[in-house]
Amino acid sequence: MSAPAAIKTRPARSTAPPGPATARRRKADRTYYLMLVPAVLLFTVFISLTGLVGMFYSLTNYAGFGDWKFIGLRNYTSMLGDPRILESYGFTIWFAVVTTVVVNAVALLLAIGLNGRIKWKTGLRGIYFIPMVISGIVIAYVFNYLFSTAAPALATQLGWTAGQSSILANENWAWLAVVIVTAWQATPSALIIYLAGLMAIPKEVYEAAELDGAGGWRRFRSITFPLLIGYVVINTILGFKGFLNAYDIIVGLTNGGPGTATMSVAMTIFSGFDGGEYAFQMANAVVFFVFTLAVSLLQLLFVRNREVNLS
Amino acid sequence: MRSRTAMRSTTVSQHSLSRSLSRRGLLRLGGALAGAAAGGALLAGYASSDDRRTTIRFLQNKPEAIPYFDKLIEEFHRAQSEVYVVHDSTPAALTPQFARGTPPDLGCYNYNLETSNFLARGELSDLGRLPEARRIDAQVQDLVGQYAQYKSETSVLPYSVTAAGVIYNKDLFEKAGVAIPRTWTELLKACRTFKAQGIVPVLQTYKETWTLSQGLFDYVSGSALDVAGFFTRLKELGPKAGPGAEVSFGKDFKDAVEKMLVLASYTNADAPSRTYYDGNVAFAHGKAAMYLQGPWAIGEIEKINPKARLGTFALPATEDPEDVKVRVNLDLALWIPDASEERNAATAFLRYLMRPEVMDAYNAKHLAWSPTRNAPAMRDGRVAGIQSYVDAGRFYQGAGTYFPGAIPLGNYLQELLIGGNADAFLRKLDDDWARYAQRSL
Repeated sequence: MSAPAAIKTRPARSTAPPGPATARRRKADRTYYLMLVPAVLLFTVFISLTGLVGMFYSLTNYAGFGDWKFIGLRNYTSMLGDPRILESYGFTIWFAVVTTVVVNAVALLLAIGLNGRIKWKTGLRGIYFIPMVISGIVIAYVFNYLFSTAAPALATQLGWTAGQSSILANENWAWLAVVIVTAWQATPSALIIYLAGLMAIPKEVYEAAELDGAGGWRRFRSITFPLLIGYVVINTILGFKGFLNAYDIIVGLTNGGPGTATMSVAMTIFSGFDGGEYAFQMANAVVFFVFTLAVSLLQLLFVRNREVNLS
Repeated sequence: MRSRTAMRSTTVSQHSLSRSLSRRGLLRLGGALAGAAAGGALLAGYASSDDRRTTIRFLQNKPEAIPYFDKLIEEFHRAQSEVYVVHDSTPAALTPQFARGTPPDLGCYNYNLETSNFLARGELSDLGRLPEARRIDAQVQDLVGQYAQYKSETSVLPYSVTAAGVIYNKDLFEKAGVAIPRTWTELLKACRTFKAQGIVPVLQTYKETWTLSQGLFDYVSGSALDVAGFFTRLKELGPKAGPGAEVSFGKDFKDAVEKMLVLASYTNADAPSRTYYDGNVAFAHGKAAMYLQGPWAIGEIEKINPKARLGTFALPATEDPEDVKVRVNLDLALWIPDASEERNAATAFLRYLMRPEVMDAYNAKHLAWSPTRNAPAMRDGRVAGIQSYVDAGRFYQGAGTYFPGAIPLGNYLQELLIGGNADAFLRKLDDDWARYAQRSL
């Protein structure tokens, strides 16, 4: 599609006299600025400035209102020895890693299936897309009912003792429920990206491989997966970043419980406003920001290397 | 009913999102929208009819009392011509309003640790010189000071007090031949009797953690130890608090927590996955003899089964019947923020609300007690069992309500009841309190 567009524009630019061409370029620049400035302003006022205000208050004992005073780095030092903060980081990172793996594995398998020669392909693709358009909190409440009431009832019917207590009430396995539900919701967006990637692979490559006698597994390992690796990287980065911010699904499923087994960093930070620890949780937010920034930079480095390999 | 939700906001306030997203939350949101619409309508009516009056915004947080306060405000408008009151029943934005410096002119609000933050930070004006302030029973006024104190000011006036005990099923008690227990030993004996007859002794719902802190935790600790005294001494320690300090959860709460575990062993087996709503349904259908819930649950249970015969008694976690007390809650208290520009007008409405006939009528209708001296006793069969305790001044504010939102007490209780490790639980409370004290006290 891009090729014809380039052909159309090129003669136009070359036949135009030099004067108007520069004027047109300047005009184009102004258009870009007009598009850019509101976004930059909005971002600065509502994200950067508020972020800086939050960083400022992380050095105080502010509750969000009323009297306050500077307390230096005490909020930060207090964080280091707080097992609840450390556990929330541990849980969040573990959850993000596992969910990223699960989502990518499931989405890739589904994408291959939905890209094959099957009946009802469009309809099936539509059905698999549904979880993406439902709000996370709604999904969480529905699954909450399934886990706490429907699943134990079914287990009782089947005489399966281990399944009779809800997984959400199990301190060691509640995280798995959170992973399952999050993956259920997050798979479609990864699936779309994989489908796009699969459709971009030319049919001829497979035909040639088939002629050479390559089986299904061999074709996946030597053709599909290497050609999809760029999409795997995109899905991993987008997914991981999103899962680090886990909030709504956990709130609807376990509310951080049982105990504090599924308390994510975002939930801990949000508790500060109600709990009178606004400033302390601001410090936590600053640390979490630095952490996510570091993860993103690492991933960016990794992508750069990948791009070199692919080209 | 309202006190229950407000309670939840203190003890497990880090879950405020779930609160606003729960079914109850949605109902409240609907009520709040309706209230806001009504307020807007009133304001529009005022603008066209009478421009000389000073307008104040009156915030109250009981959705079930919206029509009641609407009527009261109408009467107030007829009684004088200086002040116009706009009824606001959307409590969700209270903290942001204080943060922006635009709080309501008069608050009629559940008083708990969360609300006490405004007092502690010097955001409320002193009402100590009003004659109305002197009419309040000193013992009830003390409840305000138990959470926070700003200088020597009296900036919060209790308006409505509710009391809570164990709800019991009269039919099951009669069927099993069990009398209302007056001591801890009698309570356990009653549990064993019920268990032997195949009746679940105590119904609990661990899935919603607020039910644990307001029920088991508050009821057992309330009569097993001096809760207010403990927290006063603990706060006096300031940043020195911790597991090894002379006042600690590990020392003072150990007996109470062990009792909680004993009582929890008589609980329904599916408690870990049951919610408050499940609990009401099960109790309404006679699935258990006792239910650790407050009076707000009575109405819900009667909706499900109007024929349920219910009573209330104070949970005895002690061997001396004289030590048994009931849990109370300052369901509504009045305050006027310093940031209000119409404090005189707000005071006028406050004084109207505090008139004995207005105040006592409100409390009689809402299963609550007036906190003034010589207030009439509230007589309602469903809560009659705890009336004598209130009359005698034998009450406490639940231990769970003293915890800042920064300590997820409800989650820890869930862990305690599922895992059964009392020492780990107490250790966590002490460690968390020490960190909280170092940061905030």
